[in-house]
Amino acid sequence: MIPDDITENLDNKTREIAKVCKSLNISQWEIIAEQSYGYELDIEAGKITMASGGGAGGFGIRIINDGKYAYTYVNSLSGIEKALLEAKKICDVSPSIDGFELPSNSDATEVKGMYDKSILSVEPEFLLSQGDDLISHVGSLDSEAKVTGGGIGVGVTASQILSSEGIDQAGLKSSHGLGVQVSIDKDEKITSSWQSYSQSGLIDFIPKEIDEAVHWARVTRNVVEVDKGAVDGKVVMNGGAFTPLFSMVVPSAIAGEKYYNKESLWSGKIGTRVISEELTIMDNPHLEGGKASAGRDAEGVPTNVRSLVSNGILEQVNWSVRDSAKAVQQGLVESASTTGSAQRGGYQSVPYTGNTNMFITSKRGNNSTEELLSKMGDGYIVNSVMGAHTANPTSGDFSVTTSSILKVEEGEVVGALKQAGVSGNMAKALSGIVEFGGDVRPRGSYSSGSVYVSDVLLHEGVRINPA
Amino acid sequence: MVVKRINGQDLRRSKILDRDKISKSLEQATSFGASYAELRLVSSNSTSMALKDGQLEKSIPANDVAATLRILADGSWGVYSTTDLDSIANAIESTTKLAKSVASRRAKGDSPITLAEVPIINDEIHWKTQRDNLDLEFDQRLEFLKELDSAVSDDDRIVSSRSGWSDEHIHTELLTSEGMDRTWSFQRTLINTMATARDGSDLVSYRTRAGGEGGWDVIEAVDLQDIGESAKKSAIRLLSAQRAPSGTMPLIADPDLTGVYIHEALGHPCEADLVASGDSCLAGKLGEKIGNDIVTVSDDPTIRGGYGAYPIDDEGVDVREKKLIVNGVLKEYLNHRQTAAEFGLEPNGGARAQDGLHHPLVRMSNTVIHGGSYDTLEDLAEDIQYGVYACGSRGGQVDTGRGSFQFAAQEAWLIENGKITTPLKDVSVSGMTLEILKNVNGLTKEANLAGPGFCGKGQTVPVGDGGPIMRISDALVG
Repeated sequence: MIPDDITENLDNKTREIAKVCKSLNISQWEIIAEQSYGYELDIEAGKITMASGGGAGGFGIRIINDGKYAYTYVNSLSGIEKALLEAKKICDVSPSIDGFELPSNSDATEVKGMYDKSILSVEPEFLLSQGDDLISHVGSLDSEAKVTGGGIGVGVTASQILSSEGIDQAGLKSSHGLGVQVSIDKDEKITSSWQSYSQSGLIDFIPKEIDEAVHWARVTRNVVEVDKGAVDGKVVMNGGAFTPLFSMVVPSAIAGEKYYNKESLWSGKIGTRVISEELTIMDNPHLEGGKASAGRDAEGVPTNVRSLVSNGILEQVNWSVRDSAKAVQQGLVESASTTGSAQRGGYQSVPYTGNTNMFITSKRGNNSTEELLSKMGDGYIVNSVMGAHTANPTSGDFSVTTSSILKVEEGEVVGALKQAGVSGNMAKALSGIVEFGGDVRPRGSYSSGSVYVSDVLLHEGVRINPA
Repeated sequence: MVVKRINGQDLRRSKILDRDKISKSLEQATSFGASYAELRLVSSNSTSMALKDGQLEKSIPANDVAATLRILADGSWGVYSTTDLDSIANAIESTTKLAKSVASRRAKGDSPITLAEVPIINDEIHWKTQRDNLDLEFDQRLEFLKELDSAVSDDDRIVSSRSGWSDEHIHTELLTSEGMDRTWSFQRTLINTMATARDGSDLVSYRTRAGGEGGWDVIEAVDLQDIGESAKKSAIRLLSAQRAPSGTMPLIADPDLTGVYIHEALGHPCEADLVASGDSCLAGKLGEKIGNDIVTVSDDPTIRGGYGAYPIDDEGVDVREKKLIVNGVLKEYLNHRQTAAEFGLEPNGGARAQDGLHHPLVRMSNTVIHGGSYDTLEDLAEDIQYGVYACGSRGGQVDTGRGSFQFAAQEAWLIENGKITTPLKDVSVSGMTLEILKNVNGLTKEANLAGPGFCGKGQTVPVGDGGPIMRISDALVG
């Protein structure tokens, strides 16, 4: 799948760029190099329609001089000198931040499980067989169910960070993922559900998410009529519905710069209770095989397992190197330094402050689905929502609509609603009683950080508005 | 090696692909058994810039070059995408084999993929701009951004302002085994700002964008002071806004929100690749009445200045206006060559790829509802006892198969007894496509493209949308 000399080749090119930086008398420079290879296949209308392969990559270069910085990226070395000269010009006229320097090298934890060598030997035929298996598996669960969309992807990314301050780290990461849109189109009514699963190692089984896609396409066919009018009450949110809303609000609230610039809904609240005392939020970049695990952050700074909210008390916020120096210079905070929380959206992106694998846990955890429904009594199960990206990160307010929702009475599912609005405030919802299931799974993407969470029973802060 | 020497070449203006070598490679694909092969190269020169609270946060000049080889063999696709242009020649055989492997698994009853015939054209189209982004200097970009940002931050209640700039020059070359050889280029420019206001513990944000297809004349033509001032005022107004009521009620949407509504509710289900895959509520409904008589909707990449404009689609097909709905009747799907062949329709230039690393999908461009008979917002509101007037978009989403959608407004007001009254915040609207199109019961005469936007469908592409001020009799407001 990847050339044998990929790491050597990437290393050579990275050092070539470093030479150009030195020849241009750039005092501090940091080069991020990435090269990915992989195969993908598309499934549409119950069949595999396309298979693709290829490779893509490039180089992002950050230069710093006297607290001023600039960034540029290229995917070929042919124009590197021109790009760096332009970056240098920008650097010269950029505002200076006192104390902003690239980090020096220090030891980092090696995170295991990020690379599975067996993925290297995956051939397109393997993915095609897996695609056939997925399609027939869905059909075997329900003869009316069809995979109307989705696909499978497998890939390996070689990456390297090299800086003038001695950071020189290279590595390989692998990934294998699949997603299916399962639809049942019968009696002029379509019901559907999207589910996906991915991991760093080879997937040689049918994940339970596929069964769940079929399950949700089936259970939402039995639509029941309910009284119109909004209801404030208990709601069980599946991880797939909870995470996008949580991710719009909480990571933004604990970004250091936003916190001290009073742009966070938790600004000024370090050391005080911000959510239920039964809840704890951790960031764990060292999780073996974790979706967003890394021994170093996107600036090469060693990462650490950190408690962000402990028993409802906000303990600390996240910082990258630049954001912390800038906040100090602006007088927003007396002192701050990187927490190893820089993230990037690939070589094309400047570092920004973010999280890795975020865990939210409750003292009321490890409930079975039946227990959660029993504790809810009357209410709703929200499986997935549309429009989570419209949630307001500065206030925590959200107003979205359901993709699939079930009505529950006395702990038993009685049927589905055709559609409903779901609104509320995430901070308020997390300040009430929150109970979790036992099936903790990663949700979200590699680049923006993941949330590991199970199903969630929210006792308050959510309103259901049946259509 | 299928590319000309790149070192020292101005990639922004010149043709990059070596025609002879590419033609031979594509011929080679047909000799391996391909019925069709194409190579599409995209070179993008772009600069993005951002200010935070008046200070330069980043300025990133960049050049991306990538190409996608697409091969149809035995009725199935094989695709190879790369940033390493030298690797393309070696990928011809393996990509053809990939396509054949997919084809070999096709069930007996399934039809092979075919492509609708299109004119084979050899030409170059370069959309001229009044102000070329390639000539734009760092200082000029910064000046525009500072003008915008200064108008936003001019109030103590604004705790933060973030303003962004992006300009790009997109150069595309497409060569096919059918003999098509087209090169085209155009530019896009965008500016945006977000004002965050705080009063005690209340914290709100308002964001807005301006821009479109074209060089930096697109930004020169807008009043940045006015945009910034307006964002600031809206953010401050949201501080005292009330939570929206929940329930089904009449809704009036401004042109911006009208555009997002029609994009989500109608545009996506009209994409023929979704129809073909069984994931559209509009499958089998061509020629059927699906909306009120007053609803006419077009998708038109030829609207110069619209953020979704493009001169040629990514399969080399000439573009034109598509009339999706005329007087409530579904007239046309958006399609590309594959779906056009599948449905026996004419290709209408709807194939778009995010960049050189992606293959074309069926996508929207500039989607607009045509104007109606009302003169003003007040005329539309006067019959409403209790409803909502919603403005500006915070985005939307659609489940095309079920036909359900959601979109959110930047700000809103209550309508009481025909009058626009109390400011509201965090208003979202949801509904079912096949129901709500029938509930559109009032449109103002004037209809224009509103702000620029982006559309995600696995790939992200710039789009424009808009229309008149629109009234919906029953909408689910949250």
